[in-house]
Amino acid sequence: MKNPSRSSGLLLLLALMGILPCRLHAQDVRILSPVSRSYAITQATVVQAPGKKLDRATVLVRDGVIVGVGQNLTIPADATVIKGDSLYVYAGFIDGLSRVGVNKPKEESTKERQKDPGNPAPEAAGITPYVDVRALLNPVEKSIEEWRALGFTAGQVVPYGGMLPGHAGIVYYNGEATDKSVLNSFSGLYSELTPAERMYPATILGVLAKWKELYRQASYTKAFAGVYASNKTGVESPASDRVLEAFYPVIDKTVPVVFKAEKNLDVQRVIALKTQLGFNVTIAEIKEGWDLIPSLKPNAKVFLSLDIPEEKKDDKGKVDAAKKKDEAAMFPDSVERKALEKRRDDFIALYTGQAGAFQKGGVPFGFSTMSAKSKDVKGNLKRMIKAGLTEDAALAALTINAAQALGIGDRLGTIENGKIANLVISRKPYFDDKSKVVYVFIAGKQYKIDAPADDKAAGTKKEKP
Amino acid sequence: MTSIRRLVLSAALLGMTLSLYAQDKGSVLIKGGTVLTVTKGTLENTDVLIRDGKIEKIASGIAAPANTKVIEAKGLFVMPGIIDAHSHAALDAINEATSPVTSEVFTGEVLNPFEVNIYHALAGGVTTIHAMHGSANAIGGECETIKLRYGVKDAQALKMEGAPRTIKFALGENPTRVHGGGSNILPRTRMGVEFVIRESFAKAKEYGAAWDKYNKDKQQKGFHGAPPVYNLRLETLSEILKGNIIIHCHSYRSDEILSLLKVCQDYGVKRLVFQHVNEGFKVAPELAQYGAMASVFADWWAYKFEVYYSTAYNAAILTRNGVVTSINSDDGELMRHLYHEAGKTQKYGALNDDEALSLITINPAKQLGIESRVGSLEVGKEGDVAIFKGHPLSIYAVPTVTIVDGLVRFDREKDVDDMRLSVDPKEPLEAAVIHTQQDQSDNCMKDAEEIFYNLFDLK
Repeated sequence: MKNPSRSSGLLLLLALMGILPCRLHAQDVRILSPVSRSYAITQATVVQAPGKKLDRATVLVRDGVIVGVGQNLTIPADATVIKGDSLYVYAGFIDGLSRVGVNKPKEESTKERQKDPGNPAPEAAGITPYVDVRALLNPVEKSIEEWRALGFTAGQVVPYGGMLPGHAGIVYYNGEATDKSVLNSFSGLYSELTPAERMYPATILGVLAKWKELYRQASYTKAFAGVYASNKTGVESPASDRVLEAFYPVIDKTVPVVFKAEKNLDVQRVIALKTQLGFNVTIAEIKEGWDLIPSLKPNAKVFLSLDIPEEKKDDKGKVDAAKKKDEAAMFPDSVERKALEKRRDDFIALYTGQAGAFQKGGVPFGFSTMSAKSKDVKGNLKRMIKAGLTEDAALAALTINAAQALGIGDRLGTIENGKIANLVISRKPYFDDKSKVVYVFIAGKQYKIDAPADDKAAGTKKEKP
Repeated sequence: MTSIRRLVLSAALLGMTLSLYAQDKGSVLIKGGTVLTVTKGTLENTDVLIRDGKIEKIASGIAAPANTKVIEAKGLFVMPGIIDAHSHAALDAINEATSPVTSEVFTGEVLNPFEVNIYHALAGGVTTIHAMHGSANAIGGECETIKLRYGVKDAQALKMEGAPRTIKFALGENPTRVHGGGSNILPRTRMGVEFVIRESFAKAKEYGAAWDKYNKDKQQKGFHGAPPVYNLRLETLSEILKGNIIIHCHSYRSDEILSLLKVCQDYGVKRLVFQHVNEGFKVAPELAQYGAMASVFADWWAYKFEVYYSTAYNAAILTRNGVVTSINSDDGELMRHLYHEAGKTQKYGALNDDEALSLITINPAKQLGIESRVGSLEVGKEGDVAIFKGHPLSIYAVPTVTIVDGLVRFDREKDVDDMRLSVDPKEPLEAAVIHTQQDQSDNCMKDAEEIFYNLFDLK
């Protein structure tokens, strides 16, 4: 144990190889096996789907799936009963794009200077579309717990990297060993318009050109692979190419390209690329989409960022003397300063009102959290609701819309018989100022978040050491 | 304090102007001005009628059709919108400086309609610009000709639809410093630059031939061979060789200008415009004979070793030798007073008014291949107009109204203080009013500065 980083790496490796059971390496979580995998949440307010509320209803969960929703249900004898008299039950929230539970690569202290910056190896330039996100999952990554405590039960997660970091996958935020957390190992090919550092493509110009070139190259090699498969004699066999082969499912349209596009122009560029090349696209982490609603309507697979700019408080009185003097020199006239403040505040309102504008524009959307801080999320949701988003639409974005955009609407997103038992259970309605998440269920497993200390019903003893 | 009151109203006014901009083309009647057509002489007390974005009639006493805005231009000068054949405004990136050849990149994909520089240029009577790749590479990227429709937020809507494709080349110190000096690869010398261009053309020729062969083979029954490796860089270069893309080449010295002429001659490339061309005056007859054009500065030089041998008579000498010549800005500030720059050719070279105005109107239009649509006031052309108080070649000239496609995009009387289309809430308030060095950096070497300055330990 002289080298802790090496030993934890070894543990991770063993875990990935399936040698260690999850309980061993996740030693500080200490989950006790529940007696049975049957639960009954009784007498609760159950929001089955946005706008579809059942009062004093029961939700039955068995072996990971929902087996009953409604009033007057018989409680199975082996069920762990959660008395839901003052509780609200929602479908588990789904995050459209994040890196929750994904290992961050170590910063290389000395970046190797490229001999020929115009021809770097693909992996040096951030082009690793073949990377399987499962190889990077880390069940003890600390943010999993934070997001779960907010009600997020699953999300589309992606590797870190440059313009083509690898596969997106859909995972449960359950902190379990990799293969027990994966719902869809390849939900899309993840991409960002992120240039490489001091090598090609070093600008957005190069990124867009490289993207088009790779896609078209892949179209040709894929077509030739088909021709070759039907007649292998007399011609050279096609070479293996991990980068190009990673595009094949995109060209086949069996998976979309999942783009992160925060700014207005990022979104415009992604739409232009999609229009030129014709792939299916999911655009996530949108922050400035209010002017683009008409052009996003036909795509309709969008995730809006839960990160919005802070409201600027009137900082009069708090400003120190030096800053005041600077400002006086800069703005001899307070009218000018006020006008600039007003424009800034108008724009903050646009960011805050984005989700509401999408709702009004009739474009269904989910939410993504990639650049949001978990501690801000609930406040941000409330600000969006105050700015015009309805609570039902907010809930839809967190649940059913996200599930549908990710192609898992048949399994997640609502509380219905047969669906996977992902639930958020709160005291007071979720969007209420004083609401608290009490339990979260992920694939039928109960997580205690803010339950009373003497609550024996919770299958977990303690989440933190 | 009227200006301040205006500022308070700015947001509201901006909203109004934006809704006006939502339509693409407009109608306007400009009444009673001195019309400087540039190609058809000067017409006193004449009206110009633009309908649905096109010039419909130029005559005196035109009655305003219904729902047409009327601009009273008595005592004012009406000229075609100014065209800047060399700009880097409205772009999010300018140089992909990592490779000496980057013909695969395209500035048309990185347009930024939110850049307030676009409005500043409108305030100088400019209506069309050539948004170019920078000069870090021997063969840079494709460029986009855009109209300054400030107010649109759709980047595609800035494009001048149907304008010919153009591409940036660069000779001399910039590519040799960035790649030879900075990365220790070709080209390190002017010989190297020529070699890089020749080699690229040769590869493009082979590439084109390989695809031609493949496409022919494919017709044969039973053929199941592999296609050539698709290469976007060579795709673009092939189009140059086919004559489908106009080369705009950054250049200063006469020897390298002649060497590129020879390269183009060898490969049958005819459409060629030299940019900067400070020593163009030395090789003006050769340029004219080849049909190559020149886009120059009025009097800007000595910022680099290769740019010392220069003269303010350059534009006039080129013009008198029959070279289609324009005056460009290559700079956000200079772009706002190209009419002054054109006026300098009357002091240095005694060009007449039409010749001087041609340098910033019809001639740059010819260099961009858009002379049938813009660059002069003629019936049937697009309604791009700049209105001046005072003759535009006079030092007292003040641009008052700028019209693009029949829509007023700049009006000095209604010029609000805060014309930003987008505000970043994370930016400090001061960012809106401080004019930094950064704002001036939309030049040839943007995105390549690091390599450029590291080489000389300049920071």
